[in-house]
Amino acid sequence: MTGRVSETAMTPLSSGFELELAAETDNVPLVRHALRGLLEASGVGEERISDITLAVTEACANAVLHAYPHAGGQFEASAALSAAGELVVTVRDHGSGMAPRVDSPGLGVGLPVMAAIADALEIDTPDGAGTIVRMTFDVATATAP
Amino acid sequence: MSGIVVERAEPGVEVVVVTGEHDLSTAPELERRLEAALDSGQPVVIDLLGTTFIDSTVLRVLICAREQAGERSVGFRCALGETTGHGVRRLLELTGMEDRLSAVPTRADAIAGAAAQA
Repeated sequence: MTGRVSETAMTPLSSGFELELAAETDNVPLVRHALRGLLEASGVGEERISDITLAVTEACANAVLHAYPHAGGQFEASAALSAAGELVVTVRDHGSGMAPRVDSPGLGVGLPVMAAIADALEIDTPDGAGTIVRMTFDVATATAP
Repeated sequence: MSGIVVERAEPGVEVVVVTGEHDLSTAPELERRLEAALDSGQPVVIDLLGTTFIDSTVLRVLICAREQAGERSVGFRCALGETTGHGVRRLLELTGMEDRLSAVPTRADAIAGAAAQA
């Protein structure tokens, strides 16, 4: 397993992190590794971690690939894990939205994958303010003994 | 560690071994390596037995490679087995695209299948 999580890039919360990153593809694994670290430390099972990191990778890929088709920008990824075992992951960009692109490098399956894995998925596109994807995952029932 | 290594297996098959995690940050490199393998004219195998994670960007690259191999009548198989990571199999299950990869469970089957198809 590669470990490129930068401790200094993370703002510690009670249990979670907030990252503000350049909208570059290299930063997507960074978010995934931070999330994996959080879930491993909380005793969540490997298969559930694998599923959640897939959904969050797809959300971050949307932010990086769709939000700024012509110029660089920032995106934000945060994760908050409650004592009750509810994980809320928010991925926000300030770009042009997730409208389909003619040159889309994906398969158009990102959203269905996110919807299938998350227990709840909300997508807000406030006018002129990019896209906010909020996914909720119940990890209490998936916690390793 | 994540990596992409191209090996030559008998009887003249290009085996692209994909290990560890791959996503949109490594998909362009994988696409280049697969294009080069296809350009060799030899049958191509993508070994996913040590792959722990792929996202839909990487899946698209794999499916495109298989389609290009078909267009060029180049033998092609993916090796996708028990050692392939849960995340890889989960993405294929959710997207229903495993049958678009010409997947077989072992590297030996993949090499034999790709060579026989050429």
